[in-house]
Amino acid sequence: MQPIWYLIKKEFKQVFRTREMLSIIFIAPMIQMLVLGFAISTEVKNVSLIIADFDRSRISREILQAFEHTDRFRVVGYETSYRGIETAIHRWHAQMAIIIPADFGRNLQRGLQPEVQVIVDGLDGNTAGVALGYASGIFQRFGEVWLQQRAVARAAAASPPGHRVVVEDRLWYNLDLKPEQYMIPGIVVVLVTIISMMLSAMSLVREKEIGTLEQLIVTPLKRYQLVLGKILPFLILTFIELGIVLMAAQLIFGIRIAGSYTLLAGLAFLYLFATLGLGILISTITHTQQQAMFVSWFFIVFMILMSGFFVPIENMPGVLQKVTYINPMRYFMYIMREIFQKGSSLQFLLKDWLPMTAFGLVIFTFSVLKFQKRLT
Amino acid sequence: MNSRKISVQTRDLTKRFGRFTAVNRVSLQVYEGEIFGFLGANGAGKTTLIRMLTGLLKPSEGEGFVAGYDIWRQAEAIKRHIGYMSQRFSLYEDLTAEENLTFYGGIYGLNRRDIENRKRELFAHVGLQPFANQMTRDLPLGFKQRLALACALLHDPPIVFLDEPTSGVDPRARRNFWNLIYQTAQLGKTVFVTTHFMDEAEYCHRVGIMHMGKIIALGAPGRLKQKYRKSTMQDVFIELHRLSEEQA
Ligand SMILES: Nc1ncnc2c1ncn2[C@@H]1O[C@H](COP(=O)(O)OP(=O)(O)O)[C@@H](O)[C@H]1O
Ligand SMILES: [Mg+2]
Repeated sequence: MQPIWYLIKKEFKQVFRTREMLSIIFIAPMIQMLVLGFAISTEVKNVSLIIADFDRSRISREILQAFEHTDRFRVVGYETSYRGIETAIHRWHAQMAIIIPADFGRNLQRGLQPEVQVIVDGLDGNTAGVALGYASGIFQRFGEVWLQQRAVARAAAASPPGHRVVVEDRLWYNLDLKPEQYMIPGIVVVLVTIISMMLSAMSLVREKEIGTLEQLIVTPLKRYQLVLGKILPFLILTFIELGIVLMAAQLIFGIRIAGSYTLLAGLAFLYLFATLGLGILISTITHTQQQAMFVSWFFIVFMILMSGFFVPIENMPGVLQKVTYINPMRYFMYIMREIFQKGSSLQFLLKDWLPMTAFGLVIFTFSVLKFQKRLT
Repeated sequence: MNSRKISVQTRDLTKRFGRFTAVNRVSLQVYEGEIFGFLGANGAGKTTLIRMLTGLLKPSEGEGFVAGYDIWRQAEAIKRHIGYMSQRFSLYEDLTAEENLTFYGGIYGLNRRDIENRKRELFAHVGLQPFANQMTRDLPLGFKQRLALACALLHDPPIVFLDEPTSGVDPRARRNFWNLIYQTAQLGKTVFVTTHFMDEAEYCHRVGIMHMGKIIALGAPGRLKQKYRKSTMQDVFIELHRLSEEQA
């Protein structure tokens, strides 16, 4: 245990004596969050919308009114044919189209589940995803309200006197559809990944680059001690970082976490097995800090693209959707958004944190085994 | 001489990097308390040999024993009994001299009191007290090398490997460092030191001269000078070099 403690103390001394390190850890993340947070959140407004209402019922008109009355969307036209919609999107007149099929209202009243078609121009994946989010929010709200009305009406008609009508209380998340609510958790995930993976890789490679690893290798230090002593400081730093960005999310963007901080921290810990493991792995295949940084960026960019951060996973081509399953960030991105917005429970998130942890442990074990206490 | 205990022993020790043989069937014995000099031009294979003996590199072939432990199977046990000073300064530049020693004391598992005691002794031994709290990067190279020696001696190992400890410093600093090597040997430690300065061979009890991965001469400097009828080790080396060129 003692050698690990000395390694940790040494690492912190070095971090706090290196100005670049301090700025990577404490200043860069704030800037990244501000830039990404504000840039992304102000971007998606006035999505140009085209509407095709083949139903023309009271219900369909109610839905369309909801779209007309929000500044998220700007209705640029009404179409009566699919061909017209296609042309409008191709010519970039509209970014999104809503098609309400004939008999929609009647089917809804008959208790069927009629579908509304939404077409989004996926060229700008971020806007598309966020716009789709708004739209489904509107539909969902409409559906809830409509169902409740119907339930009340039915209950009043059918239930014997004396029975209370029980209307289920539902958790409404992201009620005003603020995109920051969606983006900030994602940014937190990205920052946590960068700090843990890139800094641990660079710190390990640095010892190789400046030759100090050679000196460590000739000591009786055990491999696990060396790995833990180099990794734990970055685990601690990542948590400090996580605290700072969560605080900033609240203070600057006014975003509160719906779920539990303990759960978030616990699942972050499980996620870090994957990122720290990748950090170690990168250090075994590179020789200079520059190479380590380059390879880390490659990994990070790939992970971000395949995580649903910019482009929602549902919008990806089928093959790519499958690829996302081997990306640990995909799971943590989802987990983070769920905990932020809906306060989801450990049990509810099981199908995400279980594969995430499994990947993490596999990557971590593999990397530690690959990390040899010898020069190559 | 042969009744003395052996510290380091190799038999046909070989290291190949791909098709290139950096160390070619080296056999030697180093006795306890001896200053053994390992000489050779740059690229002769000195560092590679030391790295195999210290467990940094796996040999390709041959045998090696350090402090009685097998370099193939007991590399970790060897590490407790050796000190090592790399040819490239390899302590932390962004820690002070004292912090470097404290750190390595902790790594070697010394307790806090032992670390303090050893630091005091070693700073005195290598003459670094006035610089204890200086940032390592600000020390002149000669002092960095003394710090590296102190670090190699921290856990009181019976054998120390010093890889070109005097390269890059001025003649006076070299002399001072050799005095330290003598004092270290007087503590009963075996010193295995490499150099490419032939004049430093005169300071060693015995030397091995290496050329292109092979040992081409082995023995006390006096005997070698006698054998090749030269007055300095520099001349012995030139003669050996000429002979090996003739052979090739
Ligand atoms: N890791 C390595 N891979 C390939 N060749 C190496 C490696 N290490 C050393 N060499 C080569 O082995 C030879 C001996 O190197 P080295 O032991 O460092 O010599 P010396 O220490 O005597 O200057 C040199 O030609 C060097 O280029
Ligand atoms: Mg060398």
